[in-house]
Amino acid sequence: MKMRWNLNAAIVTATLFAAIGCEQAEERYPLAVLGPYQVSDVVKDGKMVTDTSFTSVRPFEFYDQDSNRVTEKTFENKVYVADFFFTSCPTICPKMKQQMLRVQEEFQDEANLLILSHSIDPKRDSVGRLKSYADKLGVSSDKWHMVTGDRDSIYSMAKHYMIAAQEDRLAPGGFAHSGAFLLVDQKRMIRGIYDGTSADEVDDLMKDIAWLLEEQP
Amino acid sequence: MVARRTALVFGIAATTAMASVVSCDYKPRNQGRVLYESECQSCHMENGQGLGELMPPLANADYVKENTEALACIIRYGMEGPVVVNGVEYNGQMPGNRQLSEIEIANLIHYLLEVLNEQENTMTINEVREQLKGCKKP
Repeated sequence: MKMRWNLNAAIVTATLFAAIGCEQAEERYPLAVLGPYQVSDVVKDGKMVTDTSFTSVRPFEFYDQDSNRVTEKTFENKVYVADFFFTSCPTICPKMKQQMLRVQEEFQDEANLLILSHSIDPKRDSVGRLKSYADKLGVSSDKWHMVTGDRDSIYSMAKHYMIAAQEDRLAPGGFAHSGAFLLVDQKRMIRGIYDGTSADEVDDLMKDIAWLLEEQP
Repeated sequence: MVARRTALVFGIAATTAMASVVSCDYKPRNQGRVLYESECQSCHMENGQGLGELMPPLANADYVKENTEALACIIRYGMEGPVVVNGVEYNGQMPGNRQLSEIEIANLIHYLLEVLNEQENTMTINEVREQLKGCKKP
């Protein structure tokens, strides 16, 4: 009898072990707001309450593959996906770009979805070099901005988006960076972080974009 | 007693869980595919289809089929400058893979030719060895 109990417990525990690795069936929507937030005590209806306010993506200024100035105003009332890469990257970037092309294709006719790829190698990635890269990749210039600019601004922007990026002599190509895609909503709030090298996670990203476009006009 | 029972429970559970994981067996004949996935696919993509006009395709690629005698050296030492594949010019830089042994390069070439390009005549390890002796090292 005791042995039977042991066996049953073992099977239950094994099932639990196996389930840990599986995706949770939790509800994805509404999407949470991510990033830094401030908690403050405010008076509401005569009572002291705690209020949480999230920080929106701060203003920026870069130049894209067509030499156009790109700022936060370019993305006003639009949803956008941001990432960081460099054109001579020999590791994860081609895969990220292959996946970002899927996003471009899926939302080709959706004017309220844009893409913003920052080069973390602004020294070598001039506007001309970005242009040539974009053309060879098949980028639609009105949808996908590949930007370069002041080095420090780009790195501090990466940090702001919670993306790791740094110069690293030992890393292949000279830079170490994360392959994350960031989803930013119409109010410039970060709503999702995805592995840009994973087709499955980019599937999720595309579902979340569609949700944002529909739910938050 | 309780501790022993718990240990037994966990023992059986862990064994059951592991048995379901250790199904990814490694076969030497798959080495070419495994190497392709670790060394090539981040640029040339999962089915060898390449990426736009940035990364040339390796699957159904005339350049691969017509330049079998150059493949070993390209894999080991990389290449740069313009190259035309299936009528499209690519002008990038491919890093070398100097850590790969002769047998690994041979298995990789076998995968490139037989699987990605459906070629019946692949290359022997001796042919690969001879090729590697004659590489122009950059």
